[in-house]
Amino acid sequence: LAHGAGGKASRRLIEGLIAPYVFESGTELRDVAEVALAGGRLAMTADAFVVKPRVFPGGSIGELAVNGTANDLAMGGARPLALVATLILEAGLPTEELEREMAAMARAAERAGVAIVGGDTKVVEHGKADGLYISTAGIGLVDPRVDLSAKRVRPGDQVLLSGPIGDHGITILLARGEIELEAELTSDTRPLWPLVEALIEAAAPGLRWLRDPTRGGVATALNELARDARVTVVLDDEAIPVRPEVRGACEILGLDPLHIANEGQFLAVVAPEYADAALEALRRVPGGASAVRIGAIEEGARPVVLARSRYGGTRVIDMLVGDPLPRIC
Amino acid sequence: MVEGRRITVRGRVQGVGFRPHVARLARRLGIRGGVQNTMDGVLIRAEGTQEALEAFIRAIVAEAPKAARIDAMEVAPDRPEGALDFRILPSRAAGRSTSVIPVDTAVCEACLAEMRDPHDRRYRYPFITCTQCGPRYTVIEALPYDREQTVMRAFSLCPDCAREYGDAEDRRYHAETIACPACGPAVRLIDAGGRPIPGDPIAQASALLRAGKIVAVKGLGGYHLACDATREEAVFELRRRKRRPRKPLAVMAASVEAARGAVRLSPEEEALLASPAAPIVVAERRDGGPLAPSVAPGLRTVGVMLPYTPLHHLLFDAGAPALLVMTSANLSGLPIFYRDEEALEGLREIADAFLVHDRPIAHPLDDSVVRLVGGDIDFLRRSRGYVPDPLPSPFDVDGVVGLGAEENNAFAFGRGTQLFVGPHIGDMETVEVEERYIREFEHFHRWLGVDLNIIAMDRHPLFATRRIAERLKAAFPDVEIVEVQHHHAHMAACMGENGLEGPAFGIILDGTGYGTDGAIWGFEVLYGSYDGFRRVAHLRYTPLPGGDKAVREPWRNALGMLVRLFGREEALRLLEARFPERRTALPILASLVERRELVAEAGTCGRLFDAASALLGLAEVAGYDGEPAILLSERVDADAEYAPYAFAIEEGDPMVIDMTPMLRALLHEYGEGRPIEAIAGRFHATIVASLVEVIRRARMRHPAWSRDVVLSGGSFHNPYLRVHLRRALRALGMNVYTHRLLPPGDGGLAAGQIWVAARTKRAR
Ligand SMILES: [Fe+3]
Ligand SMILES: [Mg+2]
Ligand SMILES: [Zn+2]
Ligand SMILES: [Zn+2]
Repeated sequence: LAHGAGGKASRRLIEGLIAPYVFESGTELRDVAEVALAGGRLAMTADAFVVKPRVFPGGSIGELAVNGTANDLAMGGARPLALVATLILEAGLPTEELEREMAAMARAAERAGVAIVGGDTKVVEHGKADGLYISTAGIGLVDPRVDLSAKRVRPGDQVLLSGPIGDHGITILLARGEIELEAELTSDTRPLWPLVEALIEAAAPGLRWLRDPTRGGVATALNELARDARVTVVLDDEAIPVRPEVRGACEILGLDPLHIANEGQFLAVVAPEYADAALEALRRVPGGASAVRIGAIEEGARPVVLARSRYGGTRVIDMLVGDPLPRIC
Repeated sequence: MVEGRRITVRGRVQGVGFRPHVARLARRLGIRGGVQNTMDGVLIRAEGTQEALEAFIRAIVAEAPKAARIDAMEVAPDRPEGALDFRILPSRAAGRSTSVIPVDTAVCEACLAEMRDPHDRRYRYPFITCTQCGPRYTVIEALPYDREQTVMRAFSLCPDCAREYGDAEDRRYHAETIACPACGPAVRLIDAGGRPIPGDPIAQASALLRAGKIVAVKGLGGYHLACDATREEAVFELRRRKRRPRKPLAVMAASVEAARGAVRLSPEEEALLASPAAPIVVAERRDGGPLAPSVAPGLRTVGVMLPYTPLHHLLFDAGAPALLVMTSANLSGLPIFYRDEEALEGLREIADAFLVHDRPIAHPLDDSVVRLVGGDIDFLRRSRGYVPDPLPSPFDVDGVVGLGAEENNAFAFGRGTQLFVGPHIGDMETVEVEERYIREFEHFHRWLGVDLNIIAMDRHPLFATRRIAERLKAAFPDVEIVEVQHHHAHMAACMGENGLEGPAFGIILDGTGYGTDGAIWGFEVLYGSYDGFRRVAHLRYTPLPGGDKAVREPWRNALGMLVRLFGREEALRLLEARFPERRTALPILASLVERRELVAEAGTCGRLFDAASALLGLAEVAGYDGEPAILLSERVDADAEYAPYAFAIEEGDPMVIDMTPMLRALLHEYGEGRPIEAIAGRFHATIVASLVEVIRRARMRHPAWSRDVVLSGGSFHNPYLRVHLRRALRALGMNVYTHRLLPPGDGGLAAGQIWVAARTKRAR
């Protein structure tokens, strides 16, 4: 098994080895599933968290576990309600660290408005896990006004982004301390439901698709959209917000910010007539001030993501593939 | 006594006035019979006396049209049928296709003489052509090559032109592109806002060029941007508007004499300039010559061409400066403009005026760029004047296509035992270039009529050609996609071009290619044949931090090399002295280079040149593809001898060439203030010496192996490497083969991919 940094390798793993056994063919692969109940729709998600280092500027694994799960629910248009967590502890993990992470989970749960209602704990031998893994499952209630699916995405729809990209991935990379680069950066991990709720209020009928661009970044999330919806996504290269610190680090490291992971941003596709209202609503929510339109859906003979710039033509934005290999000679 | 002959002629004999030439000779010498195009050439059936037939056969070769090229001629006895006259017969439809699209050729002397004759009806007519000259590939939409299938169908012949077209004694008998002022295309001059500029368009355009303005000129295969090449302000302004700070610009000289004033030219180079293909010839710039410094900043060479369309000649006749910058009109990352509306829109902020005309360009074609090295043609870019001329293949390659690589790309098609390399497409970095690629690919596919059965492509996971292969596979589900290792393809290209069967050694010096181990290769000694290879030796790997960025910014790659080879501490000390402005970035990058998941490993000749160029203060950052290596290679006298530095070879399979001793010595000499020329010379000599040593050891280890060695890869555009490696290997008793028909760089890669894929798949 290859790495799980998101992107093509992960996609191949899931589509090739996992999905065929558990899902009916043709099922749209999302981060969240819906279960119909009398009187409503229940959203369910499961997630596992493995991060190195476990504590980083702006957050820690416990906080990530809560926000990540709550945000997957939010991306399903659901208000997060409750979650359970399984802890896998490596023998030898300092108890202070465990306590600190439990406190972090509780704080994050409170902020995100979800209850932690249960869980399980397993201790594995020293050397059989990397300190602490957290696996979570969460449920939420889907807002009755939304109908989210890549299949509803149409040419002309607008692509919105909640704020600057790349903060989390670059923060983690630098926090490992292996690269002697310092930057005033913190992870963007945060609950997204308040922003999504505002979006639903303002634009529910025109809201087609939501996704938090975590592993593999914006490029991977939009490539999946292009494939699932069979459309071309065209980005305006100059409109994508990236903090100068992230841009600078990417420059030095030779990375593309579009491939960097985020934990507190999301992409939304909305019908054109709702785009302005949606943006206005997002910008009024604390933390939504830099929400912006970054592109549009176009009729496409082939499902690709393109970035158009004023000078220099149109680039194809591929999913993250792995090694940063040079193409030019 | 009347005898008969059946004469088959192969080569470039279609669309170049070959049949009219044969018919005229036949009439002159009293030969009866006929001539027709066939699937792979021209068939002549001739009847006459023995003396007349012999004179006829001699004259077919001796007086062949300038644009023709006779590769083979077979003469067999035939039974006379008692023909009464000599005829041009309809093309023989036997076989799948008889069709070869001819190449575009420069306007011929006879047409120029008419164009300059005030009494001729085509006096000063910019679209004068004949059976011997003019546009072909660029105006042909489909085959067979009839006027109705070219963009000229929009212009119906006037009675005068119709008479010439139908008169077997006329120079324009069956000239499909025939035109005159009464019936043909016309030129216009318009300003940047699209408004016509009054007066004679050509005279006005020449006046603008004299005044230092930038004029977009619609040429044969696309638009050019022109300005006075001797006026620094004009050239500098063109660079500013085009956002192209350093990449050298081509120059068009009014005449050979004018070219001589700007560059040193050997008689062979002059002949190449004046050949029907009329390529850009890279030649040494004259010190203190008239060219503005901005034409080719920092370079000792410049690319020069002669006017090749009547319009170019008329511009100079009307008083345009005798040395014009004539550079392809494109925007950064985009292909050359060839459609009028797109050019007018895209070049609005660059050109002061547009010299345009109403003869459409069916298929765009960049200028070819060549250089003479040690008496051989080195194709830097094989396009106008050479495309789509086929190459002979040593074996059947029918239905196999090669998609090429990523930069300076061109595709290729196999049909029978012929291989057709497509036009220069450029760097596959944008969708626009990809679309251009697909359009021209489809044109070749339709024209050649081959059934695609194998698509050969590079192994690199990120190349755009991979997407194209997927699209083709969707359209033609039966095709098989074959991945070909980059340097195996280079090796096969040189073997195939030279008709070798293999096995052979391949010394492949290159920029970047994806290796079978996931590393970036490009300094390879291979041994094998079309169906496989083994790696005999390679350059020791060093980290290439930042992917494409490490190529654009060679200081990064120098850092990766030094940190790995010298250790972090010494590397940082040396690098901080070399690149003081990068003081903060250096330790960051140094901490990054050993992170395998973030940094590719590479052992390539191109990157070794880049690193040396950066360390010697020539190019910290590349202004354009290959600039650092070019700057370094130009410091070297290709005819001189230099003492190599020390290097190490780790025995093993493969052997690993370690240039640590060389880099240490080079830095030491640089620190001591030795002239760059001497250091650069020793650097080149070390590369040659290390490869010769590898071959020597391999021959000792494997005495039964072949003595054939092919040289390929982009670094063989370097004259010193090509000349000296060939000489040194010959001294070792090797048979050395180089490229003369295909570019050694990635422009020739698709051909090699075809040869590899055809052999590996067909063998099964
Ligand atoms: Fe190459
Ligand atoms: Mg998830
Ligand atoms: Zn002519
Ligand atoms: Zn006419």
